[in-house]
Amino acid sequence: MALAEDQRLENPLLAGLPVSRRSEPCALVIFGASGDLTKRKLFPALYSLAFRQLLPEKFGIVGVARSEETDDEFRERMKAAVQEFGRDEFRKDIWEGLAEGMRYVRVEANEDAALDRVAETLTELDRSRGTAGNRVYYLAVPPDAFETIVGGVGKRRSAEGWTRLIVEKPFGHDLASALELNDLVHRYFEENEIYRIDHYLGKETVQNMLALRFANGIFEPIWNRQFIDHVQITVAESIGIEARAAYYEKAGAIRDIFQNHLLQLVALTAMEPPIDFTSDSVRNEKVKVLKSMHTPGPKNVVRGQYGRGYVEGEEVPGYREEPGVDPNSLTDTFVAAKLFVDNWRWADTPYYVRAGKRLARRETTIAIQFKRAPHPPFEELAAEGLRPNVLLINIQPDEGVSLAIGAKVPGQGLQIRTVHMDFLYGGAFRTDMPEAYERLVLDCMRGDSTLFTREDEVTEQWQLVDAIVAAWRRDRPSFPNYPAGAWGPPSSDDLLQRDGRTWRRH
Amino acid sequence: MAPTLTSVSEIERKLASLRLDEDRAARLRTSVMTHIAWVPEEWVEAAEDVLAGLAERHPSRTIVLFPQSGKGGLEGEVSVESFGAGENRSVCTDTIRIHLHGTSAEHPGSVVEPLLITDLPVFLRWRGVPAFGDSAFEELVDVVDRLIVDSTEWPDLPRPYAELAQVFDRVAVSDIAWARTSRWRSMLASLWPAIARVERIKVTGTEAQAQLLAGWLRSRLGRAIRLEHEPSNKLAGVELDGEPAPFPPGDPPLPADLLSDELDKLSRDPVYEAAVSAAVT
Repeated sequence: MALAEDQRLENPLLAGLPVSRRSEPCALVIFGASGDLTKRKLFPALYSLAFRQLLPEKFGIVGVARSEETDDEFRERMKAAVQEFGRDEFRKDIWEGLAEGMRYVRVEANEDAALDRVAETLTELDRSRGTAGNRVYYLAVPPDAFETIVGGVGKRRSAEGWTRLIVEKPFGHDLASALELNDLVHRYFEENEIYRIDHYLGKETVQNMLALRFANGIFEPIWNRQFIDHVQITVAESIGIEARAAYYEKAGAIRDIFQNHLLQLVALTAMEPPIDFTSDSVRNEKVKVLKSMHTPGPKNVVRGQYGRGYVEGEEVPGYREEPGVDPNSLTDTFVAAKLFVDNWRWADTPYYVRAGKRLARRETTIAIQFKRAPHPPFEELAAEGLRPNVLLINIQPDEGVSLAIGAKVPGQGLQIRTVHMDFLYGGAFRTDMPEAYERLVLDCMRGDSTLFTREDEVTEQWQLVDAIVAAWRRDRPSFPNYPAGAWGPPSSDDLLQRDGRTWRRH
Repeated sequence: MAPTLTSVSEIERKLASLRLDEDRAARLRTSVMTHIAWVPEEWVEAAEDVLAGLAERHPSRTIVLFPQSGKGGLEGEVSVESFGAGENRSVCTDTIRIHLHGTSAEHPGSVVEPLLITDLPVFLRWRGVPAFGDSAFEELVDVVDRLIVDSTEWPDLPRPYAELAQVFDRVAVSDIAWARTSRWRSMLASLWPAIARVERIKVTGTEAQAQLLAGWLRSRLGRAIRLEHEPSNKLAGVELDGEPAPFPPGDPPLPADLLSDELDKLSRDPVYEAAVSAAVT
């Protein structure tokens, strides 16, 4: 019921009323409506938004996919998805409000004419639901389907209202294809209409990184090469490739995680304070970080592939034994690198990053390791248990921040041990944390692109990845080189040991 | 039944020992505020219900004060509750219940001050009409950042609003009765600009809601507006110059949600303050 911000100026009754995070009326078109993402993430997110009354009253959803389905069958399938994957209790009245505006359109692959049916359905929604010509097109489809859809949708833009395009990763598979893709979407859409999704940016803890750095006076003065010894960023998964062999064979860990999520985390950790939190200010600073990273030499990049091993007590097959994977596959399921951000703040401070599948446990963390106290005035033995201060940002699971500090062990003498001071994000604010997709879909409907990846970010990310991959083509790794359930190949440990450092203990 | 604690230092010792019990390794302490509740006898039951819903949302220290007659002294009881928060972890929150007798009921400031969590905001929920001018109220207002009342609990409205307006410069005030009108205010605001010419408002709801809505319209529109009040235990309808206003969408919020929302606010609410002042005129 609350109104938009520009109406507050003249209406004195609006003073002090909550600012609405609702968007204007609009229709959301999901291409790839029969896919996993729609079922597991998008519909549960849309239901949660409806549950919190964050969707516009005048709202409609058009599911588009290849399977044969009626509107009602689509509604039933999505209802089951919300019941299975939703985080809120299922309420019939809320679901029915959402379901009423749901339509389904069946298309053949690369069938341009089918987009006429989508356009007709949207016109019908404008009439029956008052969606006012405003459109969000969500491309949850493989990249080979982009061209038909983007072209078809671009040619059929409604005369009224705005149009926005959400593009799921992967955004290209190298620099050339990413540039091609950018060209394609720019033929029909302006950059400010394109929302490239990296769901990591929708995570509360990732945004909390910005709050931690820029809302606290104590961290920023020491957030630089003078006080920080190095940074470790880990994006570890314990699962394998599930049923995604076709995609993963081509992508590998470097394109699946490193190019997007991992480099985003590096950028957020290393960026300068933005002048404000508008989308371009934040993204300008992130791009500067990416621009100042030079390509790591071959010695500073490690790749790996898992073999048979044990994860959570269960024996699991090696990557090459997974269904759909080439038995001689050279795809990387693990990548680690030593990166440098060559600017005034970070010169010579290594960023050790790693990402992989079938590692010992699922965790995404950023560990800022500070330099040791210059002269601990304790006997060597007494300070044996003392490790350098580490500020650990847990992105998942157990979202929070923890600081390792040295403390005296109670008793005679002066024995020092490292203890952890924990701030558990969910422990201070018991309100449930929204899922990343809730935040991102709503931000797009409201026209806020701060948490989406801009064209130049993608270009910079691919440039770095291309340079790394080019070096890989010159040699044949002997894969597999780590058993499932380990923390990657031994060469990953060597990467740090050469510098007299080790990966954080788990 | 835990032994009763009879001094502030005993309460402090008990708190410390509870936090260091055998499973301390699994416990985390993340505090956001201290919440003091002043609960005269007639409000005991209602207060416990709301507190039960609150603790889990705002892990912090809750100090519930029960003023009672008697010759002096206090009886305290401390509990530490933990709530699951992620794998193998839990978060704890302290609840301190203190029965204050005689002089300690008159001077509760010295009892609560040692028990506040330092450097964090302090909220005071006062059940019933605050004892404006009494030492207990004055002392507590001086140690807290925000006073939370529910003027629905007050008789003889709008008279007590005049006294409430006197404390606005000393402490930020939240009124749950005001929060309950939020949906309706949003709806009424959407009637702009037609609503600018309204001369008469009729509210079917509690006296507090009627007074606050009328005060709000008067203060925002800057002119006199007549109020008619149709008593009802909830806000059931508003008429403007005889025309019924549309019903706002959504469900009315729950009592624990209302209090919880007020605990998220830290600064003064000038719109509310103006509405209270205009309700008295």
